[in-house]
Amino acid sequence: MKQNTNKYQYEQLERYKESLELAHLKTKTIIVNAIVFVFAVVVLYFLIETNVGTSMILSTMTMFLVLFIMNFAFYSYDNDHYNNLKIAMYINTLGVYVITIALILKFQTPSIFTSLFIAYALSAIYQDFKAMMLSNFSLFISGSILILRYPDIFRLSGNTDSQTFYILVFLIVFVLLLSLSSYILIKRKTFFYNQLAQIKESEVRNMDLLLEIEKINTKSELDSEAYYSSLSKFSNELSAKIGISNIFDRKIKILRDANVLSMQEILEKYPEYNQKEINELLNLELKLNNKMRKVGIKASQSQGIEVTRKEIFSESQFKSFNHQGDNYYVMIIAFVTFYALLKIDKPYLSELEEDKIKDILFNSEYFHRIDRNIINIYLENNEVFDTIVKDYLEGK
Amino acid sequence: MKYLILSSKIIWKVSDNMKSMINKIKNSEFLTFNEVLRLKVAIVTSFLFVFVSLSVPLSSYNNFTSGVDILIPIGFALLLVLTMFLTVINLNRWAMHFSIYTIIGLTIFYVGRTDHFYGYILFFVTLTVIIFYQDIITYLLYGGGITAYGIFYIMENGQAIIGFNSTGLEFSSLTYQTILIGFYIIFLIQFIVSDNIYENMNNEWVSMNKVLKKYQTFSLQYLKENLEINEQNPIYKDPKFQQLISELSVFINEFFEEDGNKIAEVVEFYFFLHDQEIDDIINDKELPLITRKYAIELQKYLLNTRSELVSVLFDFTTLFKGDKKFQVCRYEYNLEKLFNNKIDRLLGLSILYKYLKTEVTQYDRWGKVSRVLTHEEISELFISKEFRAFISFEQVNFYLDNAELFEKHL
Repeated sequence: MKQNTNKYQYEQLERYKESLELAHLKTKTIIVNAIVFVFAVVVLYFLIETNVGTSMILSTMTMFLVLFIMNFAFYSYDNDHYNNLKIAMYINTLGVYVITIALILKFQTPSIFTSLFIAYALSAIYQDFKAMMLSNFSLFISGSILILRYPDIFRLSGNTDSQTFYILVFLIVFVLLLSLSSYILIKRKTFFYNQLAQIKESEVRNMDLLLEIEKINTKSELDSEAYYSSLSKFSNELSAKIGISNIFDRKIKILRDANVLSMQEILEKYPEYNQKEINELLNLELKLNNKMRKVGIKASQSQGIEVTRKEIFSESQFKSFNHQGDNYYVMIIAFVTFYALLKIDKPYLSELEEDKIKDILFNSEYFHRIDRNIINIYLENNEVFDTIVKDYLEGK
Repeated sequence: MKYLILSSKIIWKVSDNMKSMINKIKNSEFLTFNEVLRLKVAIVTSFLFVFVSLSVPLSSYNNFTSGVDILIPIGFALLLVLTMFLTVINLNRWAMHFSIYTIIGLTIFYVGRTDHFYGYILFFVTLTVIIFYQDIITYLLYGGGITAYGIFYIMENGQAIIGFNSTGLEFSSLTYQTILIGFYIIFLIQFIVSDNIYENMNNEWVSMNKVLKKYQTFSLQYLKENLEINEQNPIYKDPKFQQLISELSVFINEFFEEDGNKIAEVVEFYFFLHDQEIDDIINDKELPLITRKYAIELQKYLLNTRSELVSVLFDFTTLFKGDKKFQVCRYEYNLEKLFNNKIDRLLGLSILYKYLKTEVTQYDRWGKVSRVLTHEEISELFISKEFRAFISFEQVNFYLDNAELFEKHL
């Protein structure tokens, strides 16, 4: 059975990850363009100093100019900014390779051949999986073709044997190392994006869970009417103090009406507001919407949260049943207790079916939170686990 | 026949190790930092093996004396063995340094002993290996060193690798040097950018983790109070539950060892810990070391505190909780960013004040969640540095100007 560890991830993750990446992509696009600009200036200096002729200078600089114009266009076009910047990234990756290959073919020297590595380094700034694969592929293909098709490039003045075989082997090993290193580095980076997006969503859901458990205890709902009454009194007094008419009153009425009226009815009753304004205002609504309660919960717990230098890069923060150095017995007991708790009815979560548990543990990141041998034993013998649970908890 | 079996065993072992390495690479994001470092050293060592192997024919090709012919590859091979040994004994950082020394040694060997362009490529390979380890100090130190050596090498021996088509030594050397420095600087910029992004993300993640712990501690406290109200025992006191954990543990353990008694004893100790002051056990020097070690390890999985296990269980539960589609403001808690309209922001501030003043959000002196914040405490909170994540200075000033109205009417 094919494993899909994304099957049970929060569905909001991708959108948030995209917004996180977008902010970083903007910075990286600017940095890459700044470096390409410096590269263009250096190339221009070399072209002038080597007297290659105006047509060569113009054609090379035109390539740089086209690259800048395309970047500027994609950066400026606001609609679907994320995908635009991604396209700009691929164009930059390929564009710089095209320019360096043109330079290599013009000068045909081993020294200029190394500019291919500059093209690689530039694309590495993006730390994007597809861009890196594209870059690795471009480096390998262009490098190999140049080595095999133009061996004269590597002929040295003092040594006529260019030893293209060794150059090719070194290039292959180099590209392989680059591919593996970029694969691991980008996977880890993506993992952190994922972790951050996940913890953001987890916070929202944990607050929902907290409110649910609180409700089980108190058996009462938040008294939204008391809030609105207090708000009315407060706004009256405040308006009187400042000496203005009560500008809050209509909005408080909308909050009250939101419990009974549909959006269309609200828009008809309060024509001075458009839907966007109403939607924004409804974040303040307390009976149907938990947004302000969440702001309140988070704000009430905001003190005493400090991050020390030691905690950064600490893997001990990752919660799992698979901590390095733990005794095997401990790992087994941790997993088994967790599993058994899933099979039991709890006030906040009903008991789960065996098939469901197996599916989640196999197709989610929880698979990686459990020792590989232990999870494999469970997956291969889950029916035995289920039988043992039923035997022991019968009549629970 | 004996050799055949032995060699097939070795091949089997090597292929098994390869499979495990590929699996680790595929799931590298789930490895700890130490495990990733070990994996990186293993990968670098494999590549170094190729370069060391290539140094054998090159060594003889370059007509060194026979002693050097043998000694150079053996020296590199010994360095590789030492690197592997260091990973085996879990000294991964040392192994990293030794793998870098090996590649630096190889680079010096290749560029120093041969007058061929491929040797020069090793400067870039060396920088790539150092970059792969993603440690900025290592990069500055070793990367800077090898780049400086590269510049020096071109200055001294630029003539050796000048291209047949080159316009002259000066431009050939300048091109080599500019590109090497450029490569080093671009990766240095990449390091700074990614380090900055990574550190910010990590800081946010760690602080969010701490906030989550607070919510989960609250949830657990509510659940404990709920049991008290209903006069029920917690699940970890239920003998049937204890037997179940013991039985399942013994079942899994049978796959590793025949004797099920030992793990059954540890399970018993695990439930025993729920009724003890865990710190007393950990700090009791009269207890056997193994007992204290188990107490430290099992502490993470206790059910009566907000342990790691309880956190994982709550996180798991959130998979089933109702959710809304993604909205831009879903993870936004700052009133300034939530609302564009000033009146909405003021209403938000008033609701926040009222919430903190009327809803139970704090522990009382007996550790129960039953206390609300006083007006003075809320005022302190509002002016605190941490609260800028929720309200602006402008709103704080408005609050301070009208504090008596807030206190009286909300």
